[in-house]
Amino acid sequence: MDRVIRCIADNVVSPLGTTSRSNYDSVKAGRSGLERYESMGNITTPFVLSRVDRKVIDGLCAELGISGNYTFFEKFLLCSSVQAVRDSGIDASSDRVLFIVSTTKGNVSLLGQPEEGIAQERVLLAKAAREVTWFFGNPNSPIVVCNACISGVCAQIEAMRALCTGRYDYAVVIGADEQSPFIISGFLSFKAISDEPCRPFDKDRKGLNLGECAATVVLEASDVKDSGWELVCGAIRNDANHISGPSRTGEGSYLCLMEVRKECRRQELAFVNVHGTATAYNDEMESIALYRAGLIDVPVTGLKGYYGHTMGAAGIMESILSMYAVRDNTVLATRGYREQGTTYPVSVSSETRECKGSEFIKLLSGFGGSNAALLYRFVE
Amino acid sequence: MEEMILKLKQEIIEVLNLEDIKPEDIDNDAPLFGEGLGLDSIDALELIVLMEKNYGIKLQDPAKGKEIFKSINVMADYIQKNRTR
Amino acid sequence: MEMKGLDYVVLNQGNAQLTELYRAHIGDWPKFFKMDTLSKAGFVASELLLKKIGERRCEGDEFIQNRAIVLFGSTASLCADRNYQETIQDKDNYYPSPALFVYTLPNIVTGEIAIRNHWRGETSFYVLEEPDAAQMAFHLACAFQDSVTESILAGWVDSRMNDDFQVFMTIIRKEDAADTERLAGQLQLIINDLNK
Repeated sequence: MDRVIRCIADNVVSPLGTTSRSNYDSVKAGRSGLERYESMGNITTPFVLSRVDRKVIDGLCAELGISGNYTFFEKFLLCSSVQAVRDSGIDASSDRVLFIVSTTKGNVSLLGQPEEGIAQERVLLAKAAREVTWFFGNPNSPIVVCNACISGVCAQIEAMRALCTGRYDYAVVIGADEQSPFIISGFLSFKAISDEPCRPFDKDRKGLNLGECAATVVLEASDVKDSGWELVCGAIRNDANHISGPSRTGEGSYLCLMEVRKECRRQELAFVNVHGTATAYNDEMESIALYRAGLIDVPVTGLKGYYGHTMGAAGIMESILSMYAVRDNTVLATRGYREQGTTYPVSVSSETRECKGSEFIKLLSGFGGSNAALLYRFVE
Repeated sequence: MEEMILKLKQEIIEVLNLEDIKPEDIDNDAPLFGEGLGLDSIDALELIVLMEKNYGIKLQDPAKGKEIFKSINVMADYIQKNRTR
Repeated sequence: MEMKGLDYVVLNQGNAQLTELYRAHIGDWPKFFKMDTLSKAGFVASELLLKKIGERRCEGDEFIQNRAIVLFGSTASLCADRNYQETIQDKDNYYPSPALFVYTLPNIVTGEIAIRNHWRGETSFYVLEEPDAAQMAFHLACAFQDSVTESILAGWVDSRMNDDFQVFMTIIRKEDAADTERLAGQLQLIINDLNK
């Protein structure tokens, strides 16, 4: 397969900005979207969340010409993808363009709170995704990747494969999740949420924060050598251990890392952008997987201290920010980290560091024993 | 106490869907976790919900559950002392 | 060259059928009773399929250990979502259940099957509008681009209500996916059976 898969446009909409650039600048400046909430709906336990201002999204929709009866989740998907598609210059109405949506819960809030003018069937993920392809006039049936927290990496891997077959020229990969009481109460019942800003890889980490983000990459299949970000390879592996607890040996993440290492030029590897949810088990598991994969000395960075866990968007937004960081020769600071808190000491820092190299690995893991990793490379 | 222990066992069997286990199969002093019933971390979290829902006991720290869910006797004793309903 | 059709299992007769099949043919996996309908249906169908093709569970066989699980559905975890929503809907009866919440992710069924069989290959769940044989065949063929994937446990699994589900499971080998159109044709035959 000589086709090269290149990222030609990207966008991130979050509390920290409505473009990838503004998000990167905010993170580099140390800003975080995390805020403490004392309650929400029937939830009375305090928690920390990174939440998008609904007015900002409505304003953005008006600016981008997104008008229609859409849920917040659908608006979120649209205001990120419309910007990315516009920047890419592609004709998204062509049948040579594939749309892939990455989400864990989509319009699930409709179950608790039906909305006037919104058909209840939009709670079905493919129906919500159809709203997006309709908006762009794209004739292909949309596909939704729903692999828990690893969905955003899986969606990019699926896009890469679909493009490699030659059937499509472009893939628009969009990830988003709305943080409704549904998801928050669930993670609270798992005692996985911290009521303080999260502390990835720190010895005092108390759990994760949830967050809202929508992110898009537009990928292109090309036979021509050109400068830009290439999606080199990716892998998805299962721990085959437990449906919610991470593997004690980091099995799936280890297997994913070993797979992407095959294509990785070690001296070019700038950093590994980890999942780093700041739960006791996840970060420990990742440190074991990195150690086993011989990557313990590579700089490690995690973004949950700025965004929280953005579920369906995480794999995409965190890949985009990593691209900006590599181009800026920077390992972004892992906000919230202070002191080593894993068995194997990963190279993580609360400070922004300088780095060399043109490649990075994005690693994720999630419920269902699922793990995924991908490798991006910048070609001059 | 005997009656309460039987009721507790029935509640546990129900919420944890221990389909093929009867109350008399659960030894009052045997560890609830580890071998035997084959319970896992999600079951432990569900027992925390059971304590709150049925007995009004709020357990914020899941690590504390480890102590309380040592055995049926320990759990029943804790409930007896801390129940609010 | 004549190629035989795919081996497959179809189930769509409600929860009583699942429990009956579990007791008659499986019986040694009490976690079955903790699963939601989607996982129960996927689990039982996968077990029956492996029995049907006479595959033995063996740890250490790399070829089988690397098997991928790629499932499709249209309702995803909607049924589990509704069950969980009930535990948080009412302010005076607000007891969010972790055991129900964990099943509000449709890929859990892929994890349940991977755990049972010690398969450490790829696991994926894709949501489509309907069981579209061509779309499924395309994405299954794509999955073989992974360097270790030689066979896939593939299927459609859907559950609208606790007692209302449809599932088929089949095993696809790399050679079955070489001709995507042919694979789509074979999947269509199974889908026809699913809707009976």
